[in-house]
Amino acid sequence: MSTVLPAPFTPATPVGRIINVVRLHLANPWTTIFMPWIVLFAVFLANLAIWWIIYTAAGGATDPEVTEGLQYSGATSWIFVYMIVVAAQAMSVTFPFALGFGVTRRDFYLGSAVTFVLLSAMYSIGMTVLSVVEDATNGWGIGGRMFSAVYFGDSWPQRLFIYFAIFLFFFFVGAAIASIWVRWRATGLTVFFIALGALAVAGVALVTFTANWASVGGFFLRAGFIGSFAWSLVLTALAAVTGFVLLRRATPRN
Amino acid sequence: MTNVIEVSDLTKNFGSLAAVNSATFTVSENKIYGLLGRNGAGKTTLMQLLTGQDFASSGTIRVFGESPVENAHVLERISFIKESQRYPDDFRAKHVFRTAPWFFANWDADFASQLIEEFRLPLDRRIKKMSRGQVSAIGVVVGLASRAPLTFFDEPYLGLDAVARQLFYDRLLEDYAQRPRTVILSTHLIDEVANLLEHVLVIDQGRIIIDEDAESLRGSATAVVGTASAVDAFVGTREVLHRDAIGGLASVTIARLDRAEREAAATAGLELSAVSLQQLIIRRTNTSEKEFQSA
Repeated sequence: MSTVLPAPFTPATPVGRIINVVRLHLANPWTTIFMPWIVLFAVFLANLAIWWIIYTAAGGATDPEVTEGLQYSGATSWIFVYMIVVAAQAMSVTFPFALGFGVTRRDFYLGSAVTFVLLSAMYSIGMTVLSVVEDATNGWGIGGRMFSAVYFGDSWPQRLFIYFAIFLFFFFVGAAIASIWVRWRATGLTVFFIALGALAVAGVALVTFTANWASVGGFFLRAGFIGSFAWSLVLTALAAVTGFVLLRRATPRN
Repeated sequence: MTNVIEVSDLTKNFGSLAAVNSATFTVSENKIYGLLGRNGAGKTTLMQLLTGQDFASSGTIRVFGESPVENAHVLERISFIKESQRYPDDFRAKHVFRTAPWFFANWDADFASQLIEEFRLPLDRRIKKMSRGQVSAIGVVVGLASRAPLTFFDEPYLGLDAVARQLFYDRLLEDYAQRPRTVILSTHLIDEVANLLEHVLVIDQGRIIIDEDAESLRGSATAVVGTASAVDAFVGTREVLHRDAIGGLASVTIARLDRAEREAAATAGLELSAVSLQQLIIRRTNTSEKEFQSA
C-alpha cells in the first residue's frame, strides 16, 4: 500500500480518460467500498443478536409470527442514504480536484456515472447473494430477515433488480443535488428545496381537489411491484441528465 | 517564437464587477512568466479562464491554438496548481501521487519521489490533518513532477517556510533548464521570484497594466537619493513614480536615465540605486490606481 511509485501511464484515449476518472474515484476504496461493507456487517451482527434473543426467548424455535414481522426490517436502509453522501462528495470535492488534473467536466461526469453504476452493481449483487443465503438458511438458522425484507421482492432476480434500481436512484439523485450546490452553492439548494416542496404540495393539492387518489393508487397497482420500481429509473435518468447539464457549466470554487 | 497562449479582449464579469477587464496578451513557449498583482486583482480568475475552469464573459482565449473550455487535448497538457486546491476527504498524500500519473503523460515518478523526500511529505497522513505548508507542498510536487508543457502555479506556497520556498524555486529552475516548458507563476512575493521570471504580467483591478520582459522592466526605473533640494533640482519636470522624504533627505523614483544623466546626477552629489521589481510594481500599481480614479 505504501508504494510511492505509481502505476504506469495509461494512454489518454477518449475511453481511457473516462476510465481514469473511475480509477480516481476508487483510488481510496475505504469510503466507497470497505466502510459500507463493514458497517453493513456490524448492523447485521447487531440484528443477529436481537434475532437470537427472540429465538431463545421463544424456546429455541422460529416463531412464524416473528419472522412475519421481521420481513419489514429497515436494517439496510441507511446504506442507500450513505450513497447519497458518496455521490455528493464525488461531485463537490473530487470534481475540483479532477479539474486541477486537467479532466474535462464531460469526462468527469461520465466517469462518475460509470463509477456509480459499478458500485450499484457491486452492492446489489452482494446484497442479493446475502438474501439468497438468508432464505436458504431459514433466516441464518434463527428466522431473522434483513436482506430479504419484503420491499426487495421475493425472488433473487427481483431483489437484484430492485436493489440495483434503488442504488442507482440514490447515487444519481445525490449527484444531481450536489451539482446544484457546486453550481449555485447554498442559494441554489435553498431555492431547489423550496421549489421541490412547493411542487409536492401542489401535486397533492391537484390530486386531492380533482379527487384522483384512486387513479394514483391504480397507477402503482397497474405498474405492479416491480413496475413501480422500474418507474424510479425514469426519475434516476432525469436526475442523471440534470446533473450532467448543471456540471457542464460549473466552476470549481473554494 | 510560438505562442502557447493568445488572449484577446478577454473580460469576465461577476455581476457589475469586471474581475478581468479586456485583457489582451500572449504567452510564448518555454518561458517563465510572473503573473503579479495584489490580492483580488484578478490573478486567480484569469488562470481559471486560461485553464477552462471558468467561462469568459467576452473575448477569446487560445491555448495551444484552441479554446481550453472542455477541450481534453488542451487540458491534458496543462497542470494547474492552486493555493487552495481541495483534495478528496479521505485522501492521503500517497493517493495524490498514485493518481497523478494517470492524468499527466510526462509524469516523472523518480523526480516526484525525490521532491517528496526533500519536502519531507508524510505520505500516509490524511491530507485533512496536514499543516497548511504540507498541503501546499503536495501541490508543488504535483506541479513540478507532472512536467506539463504548460504549468500554472497560483500562489503555490501558502504556509511553506522560507527553506521550502527556496527549494521550490531551485527545483523549478533546475528542472526547467533541463526540460524547458512554459510556467506561469502567480504570486505577491515578488522579490523572492524576481530572478526566476523572464517575463512579467501585472494585473490590477482586472486590467493588464504591465506586460514586459523582466530584464527591461528591472532597468526601467532608477531611484535618486540625496538632499531634498538637490534631488528636486535634478528631477525637475521628469515624471515622478514615487517619492520618499525623511528630514532633509529624499528618494525619488523616476524613469531610466541615460549615461549623461547619470553623470549629471553624480556631479550633483546624488546617489543612484536600482529599484527592485517589487517596488517598481507597487509604484506602477499606485499610479494606475490614480489614473483609474481620475478617469
